[in-house]
Amino acid sequence: MSRLWGLYIRLIGIQIRSQLQYRVSFLMELLSTGLLNGTYFLALVLIFERFKSVAGWTLGEVAFLAGLIEMSFASMDMIFSGFDPDSFSTKIRSGTLDQMLLRPLPIALQVLGSRWELRRMGRILEGLVIFGVALNLSPVNWTVGKMIYLPVVFLSQVLAFGALFIMGSTLTFWTVQPVEAVNILTYGGNELMTYPATIYPIWLQRFFTYAVPFIFLNYYPALYFLDKPDLLGLTPLAPFLAPLAAAAMMTIAVLFWRFGVDHYQSTGS
Amino acid sequence: MNFLWQLVKLSFKQQLAYRVALWAGLVTNLFFGVLRAVLLIALYNGQAEVNGLTLNSALSYVGLTQAMIAYLTLFGSMDLMNTIYTGAIGTDLLKPVSFFVYWLGRDFGRSLVNLLGRGVLFMLLYSLFYPVTMPARLEQWLVLSLSLILAWLVSFSWRYLINLAAFWTPDARGILRIAFTVSQFFSGFIMPLRLLPDWFTAMIQYTPFPSMVNTSVEVYLGTLQGERLWTALWLQLVWFAVLAGLAHWVYQAGIRRLVIQGG
Repeated sequence: MSRLWGLYIRLIGIQIRSQLQYRVSFLMELLSTGLLNGTYFLALVLIFERFKSVAGWTLGEVAFLAGLIEMSFASMDMIFSGFDPDSFSTKIRSGTLDQMLLRPLPIALQVLGSRWELRRMGRILEGLVIFGVALNLSPVNWTVGKMIYLPVVFLSQVLAFGALFIMGSTLTFWTVQPVEAVNILTYGGNELMTYPATIYPIWLQRFFTYAVPFIFLNYYPALYFLDKPDLLGLTPLAPFLAPLAAAAMMTIAVLFWRFGVDHYQSTGS
Repeated sequence: MNFLWQLVKLSFKQQLAYRVALWAGLVTNLFFGVLRAVLLIALYNGQAEVNGLTLNSALSYVGLTQAMIAYLTLFGSMDLMNTIYTGAIGTDLLKPVSFFVYWLGRDFGRSLVNLLGRGVLFMLLYSLFYPVTMPARLEQWLVLSLSLILAWLVSFSWRYLINLAAFWTPDARGILRIAFTVSQFFSGFIMPLRLLPDWFTAMIQYTPFPSMVNTSVEVYLGTLQGERLWTALWLQLVWFAVLAGLAHWVYQAGIRRLVIQGG
């Protein structure tokens, strides 16, 4: 186990060192990644000058949702780079996956170690800035419970998004090309969780409660951190279901991935 | 001229070949369109009108900008940059038209498919979810067509211009991403410009970006009228001329630095 861990760290280390070779270019990428994603929040800040609140949420409260989900999505996007369906499908098309399957190492470890997009740090920092703005505009009444639960929510979000990446990549065993609908869940999910769940029409709320449990990953935990009432009237336990939702999604993803690997047929390239 | 016609036809066909991608793209645009519409409805919160933009107009605004993503390549393109890095530009320079016109022709075919196919289909699908207003009079449609063509010309010139950065740096992706982010934001694609603070719109009205998206959408909605309408159209034309002129000058300076390594 520790041997595999050491190997993983080495693979990632190689990735990071190679990306740091061109410093200026890397810094530009970092800056552009942060700016690109920050623009959407900036637009929201500006528009709040006219509107003041959305569904009873102030700018600071929305920033809490936005900052947290931005940090966790970007972290996932970096850690699970190898499972990004766009890059994973090229492994299938080019036959790189076939090479990996020949090596006496767990395939998931090789995929995870094959890519580590360090420039996502730009987006993580951007999320951190938004989260800082949130804490400034609408301070959280910190309790011990909240301090312990915050990292748990963050990790749950990272794992839940990671599960979607793994499932999206597994689909490409059959489709060869990345499936666009997966982007709706990953990038769309990130966008969706940026705003309070009550703004969405009922059918969308239901879908993201029962089919893909996004609502428990950001909206409900935020209600707990910000001491806001639950207008949807789910169980009082709802804010604490984030780790459960993430574990369920990850379990399904891992089972699907194993099924996919067992049934993999090379494209022959 | 015949060469140019063939070029447009080819890129038109090339774009039409990816029909599954077209549908998949439509579904994604639709999902994000719905998300943005939902946010605007929540922000309006029952107000009939904000700064001269009714909720229905704002919803149409969102639909139109989503419909124009592929037509105006709003997320940007790095194709030209890549030809400089791969050396493919060498054969492009041998073509019997100027480099600018060559890329204009390629982009025209691609854009046309995306306007007629993806744009119109998108509006039909979107109108199943939200009310979409339509220009009532024939002149409005004519002016809209003119404005859409001008918007495409401005948008193309901007993309062409910043791709030329590849003549100077071995990795222009960061620069291009920043440039595309700026144009997405300031053009009104991310949020309707009228809903942004007055000091902000006052600042960006002196940039070419509103001419890329916002002007055409406001022509469609009929919020631009009379003299202001004609000023906006003139501005689109002026920005096209300025950007194209600038692009020509930058190209002249850049092409002298071009070194293509072997074949």
